[in-house]
Order: sequence, then structure tokens, then C-alpha cells
Amino acid sequence: MQMLFRWASKWWPGLIPLAVMWGFAAWNNTLPVEADLSARSSAALKDTVLDKTRIAVDGRDVSLAADAFSEEGRRDAVTTVEMVPGVRLVDDQTRLAPEAKPFVWSAERDVVRVTLSGSAPLPSMKARLTEAARKEVNGTEVADQMGLARGAPARFEAAAMLLLDQIGKLKDGKITITDTKVNLSGMARDIGGREAIAAALKNLPEGFSIAANEIKAPPYIFQAYKDPVAATVTLTGYVPDNNVHTAIATSASRKFFTEKVVDNLKASVGAPGSFNTAVVAALGALSRLSTGTLVVSDREVKLSGDALYEGAANDIRAGLGKDFPKNWQYKPEITVKPAAGPVDGTVCQQLFSELLAKGKIRFATKRADIDPDSAGILDHLIETALRCPTTNIEVAGHTDSDGEDAFNQALSEKRAQAVIDYLVKAGLPADRFSAVGYGSTQPVAANDTDDGKAQNRRIEFLVR
Amino acid sequence: MPYLVSFHIGWLIGSALLGFCMGWISVVQRGNGTSKVTARCLAVLVAALVAASFAHVIPGRFGYWLDLGLVLFACYLVGCTIGAWLRYWVVSRSQPAA
Repeated sequence: MQMLFRWASKWWPGLIPLAVMWGFAAWNNTLPVEADLSARSSAALKDTVLDKTRIAVDGRDVSLAADAFSEEGRRDAVTTVEMVPGVRLVDDQTRLAPEAKPFVWSAERDVVRVTLSGSAPLPSMKARLTEAARKEVNGTEVADQMGLARGAPARFEAAAMLLLDQIGKLKDGKITITDTKVNLSGMARDIGGREAIAAALKNLPEGFSIAANEIKAPPYIFQAYKDPVAATVTLTGYVPDNNVHTAIATSASRKFFTEKVVDNLKASVGAPGSFNTAVVAALGALSRLSTGTLVVSDREVKLSGDALYEGAANDIRAGLGKDFPKNWQYKPEITVKPAAGPVDGTVCQQLFSELLAKGKIRFATKRADIDPDSAGILDHLIETALRCPTTNIEVAGHTDSDGEDAFNQALSEKRAQAVIDYLVKAGLPADRFSAVGYGSTQPVAANDTDDGKAQNRRIEFLVR
Repeated sequence: MPYLVSFHIGWLIGSALLGFCMGWISVVQRGNGTSKVTARCLAVLVAALVAASFAHVIPGRFGYWLDLGLVLFACYLVGCTIGAWLRYWVVSRSQPAA
């Protein structure tokens, strides 16, 4: 041992190169050591639930700053970093995440995106809520502006998920949870969406309640477009149920005698009161136009297009409002189709025959009251009569063989006269027309079938 | 400690080799070494530095550099000891033969 001490007393010169080596080692390795420990610490904290984690390494000392969501989680995070090999000291700058009072979370939808804001209780839940929103509004951008805070009410996630399910049913709007109170506002995307959301809200988790539900339904729209080139009337939009659907489709096929009715209507709840009455009346007005568009939006009716002559335009502008139920608004934008050129009597007769072959002037059963559904064909007949102003026209009434001959004779005369009265009221001179009734004496089909009888009940226009 | 050793293994081997050489030379070197007083002062200084290292009283990079220096010094001492013993063994074997 004495020898060792004697030798050791001569070891000091080696300390000089050792010090140089030490300096080089420190120079070379300080930054790599710090980077390595930072990476190891971050990896160790990967599965720990923290927010705003910041790791700074000075030498082998780690400074850990983070928001934890429980005291236990906070302690675990510090211990985890302390256990990282190579770490000498841990400067604990962790704290508990702030508690939100009240705890507010919201999802807002506008034209381009869904924005999630407010507070979420845990990072994992924040991610799940964002993912759920993405699935619900597939293709629309989801902006995550949620912060993290403690203080969420029990069953918060279930409530938020249920409300996110509703965001897809909104065109725009905002859903907010404030502690256990839920507020909804905005506009439903589809007809019936408001009712679907209200039904879904009944399944909110226990403890949550609706403070305000101000979701509005979109306008209840019914549209009809009369296209004279394609000879179609296209019906789109909504009807309240299948019965009203059938009634409107039937009425349309009676009113539009020269056009094919294309029915694209869908049944949905949410129709305003007296929808059926208003739409049938509006379709009657549309049938009198050569081309036109009808838009019924909630209780507002907009009709635009070209009437066949000036009198019809005035009649449609002034008269239709009376047919609508109270609280409905009628906005006509009617112009007059340019008058067609004059024709001689032969062409006029041909035009009358063609019109009456396509459609019929209808009357109330066993009466001489003209059915409102016949306004369209009458307008076309008047337009034709205006094109041959020098001709005289015999309006002939015919009936089927049901009932007594005298009654049928009188009925056919009255019906012919009713048509003339209509034409005169529309502005045609009375002396151009003469009414003749033939009763059932000139059938065009056998009277032994309903179809044949219907063919025999007719009005004819004969140019004299 | 295992982390320090594994991360700086090259430097530690270097310091041990340096110590080995110093130990090898020291056996046959003539002349006086450090005095006893100086040696004791140095021992006290090293002990104080070791205590400071274990107590973690020096923070940050300076603490790391202290730990690194002490580990290098320890390897140097081990190298010196091995070198001196080996040289002594070689010298003592060759003397009887001469």
C-alpha cells in the first residue's frame, strides 16, 4: 500500500491532459446529452394524460411544466420523468389544469365549417369529439378550438356526442352545453329536421336539460314550373302527406290539359295550415299562364309568368288573392304574352277543335256552373277567339243520356250560355257568340259506359 | 451512473489509458512526487467534489460537467493503479533474472 501511495504521488502530471480531455468531452457531449434526455423524457410521458407539456433539459436536470387533470396524474408524471435513466433532478413545474366554472362547450355550424369551442375535460375526449363531428358532417371542415379544463359535469361526453349527432341535421346554428343546461339555435337542414332534433333531445343523459331550443324549420317549399316547349308541368318540393299529394296531383292533371305533369313531390311534416287549398288555387292560376313558375314558401305564394291576354293577367293579379286562406301572402308578377297573329275562320275552327280535343270545359254535376279547373282551357279558347275577331262562333252544349231529355236539353243550353257569359266577361263582344243546346241528341260515343258518357258531356265551338 | 458510463464510454476508456500510461511511468520515475500535505489537500478537494456531486448541490450543466469530470478522474485513477501494478510486476520479475 505504501508503494501505491509512493506511485500515486507521481500521477499528478497526467491530470493536465485529463483536464483537457474533460473539457473536450464536456464541449462535445453537453448538447447531445440534453437532446437525448429530452427525447427520453418525452417518450416516457407519451401515455400520460397532460396538457401544455413543456420539457427543458439543462445538463442532466429536467424542468417539467404541464397541466395535469388530477393530482395523482400530476405526481405520476413527475415520477415518470424522475425514473428516466440519466435524469439527475426534476424541476417540478406541473400544475392542475384550471377548473372551468361554468363548464361551457359548444359546436357551431356555418356555411363552410363546424367549429368546436369551449372546454373538454380530457385530451382523449377532445379528440373523440372532433372525430365524431368529422363523421357527422362528412366532407365539411371541422375546426377544433376546444381548450382543456376540469369541472365537466357527469356524463358530459354522452351528452356532447348526442348533440354532435344533431349538428348534421342543422344547416347552420349553435349547440351549447353550459354545465348541465343545453341551448340550441339555428336552422334545420331539411324539412322535419327540427322535429327529429327535438325527438333526439329526449335521450339526453340524466342530469342534462334543455334551457332553450330555438331551432327553426327551413321554409316549406312547393314549386311548379310550366314549360310550354317541353309541354310539362314539373312539381317539386314537399307535401304534408300522401292524401294531399294525391289530391294535388289529380288537380294538376285536370288543370293542365295540354301538359304532362312531372311529379317530384316528397311527403314531409311541417306544412303550414290550409296548404292544400292554397296550392290548388295557385296551380289553377299557373294553369292559365302560357309559361310560368309558382313558388309556395311557407305562407307566401309567388307566381310569375305570361298570361294569354290582358284580361286574364288582370284577373290573375287581382282575383287569386281572394282564393287564399287568411295570413297567406300572394305576390303575382304577371306579364302578358305577345298576341299571336290573326287567322281566318278555318284556322280558328281547327284551333278550337284541337284545344277541345285535348281538354274539356268541366261543370258542376247536373249544373251549369263552370268548374274552376277549366279556367286554363277557357283562357286558351279566348286567346284563339281573339285571333279571328271577324268570325261568329256557335257554342254548342251536349249532355249524356242520363236523366230526362227535357232536363238535358235545358242543361246543355245553360252550359253553353255559361261559357258565352265567361267569354263576354273576359272582354269578347257578346254578339259574336250564340248558345245552342243539343241535350243528348248528338252523342259522339255510346252512352252505356262511364267513359262514353264523359265523352258525350261536352262543349263545342263552331265557327260560322 | 450507468447512463454516464454508457454515453461517454469512449472518453472513459481514453482517460483509463491515460492513467495506465501514467501508472506505468510512475513506478520507475525518479524524483519526488507531491508532498503529503498537497496530497491530503487534493484528497479533501476530491472528497468535497464527490460529496457535492452526490448531494446534487450544483445545478444544471455545471452539475453534469462535475459528474463527468469525477467519472473521468475515477477511470484515470483505476488506469493508473493497473498500470503501476503491472509495471511493478514486470520490473520485479526481470530483476532476479538479471
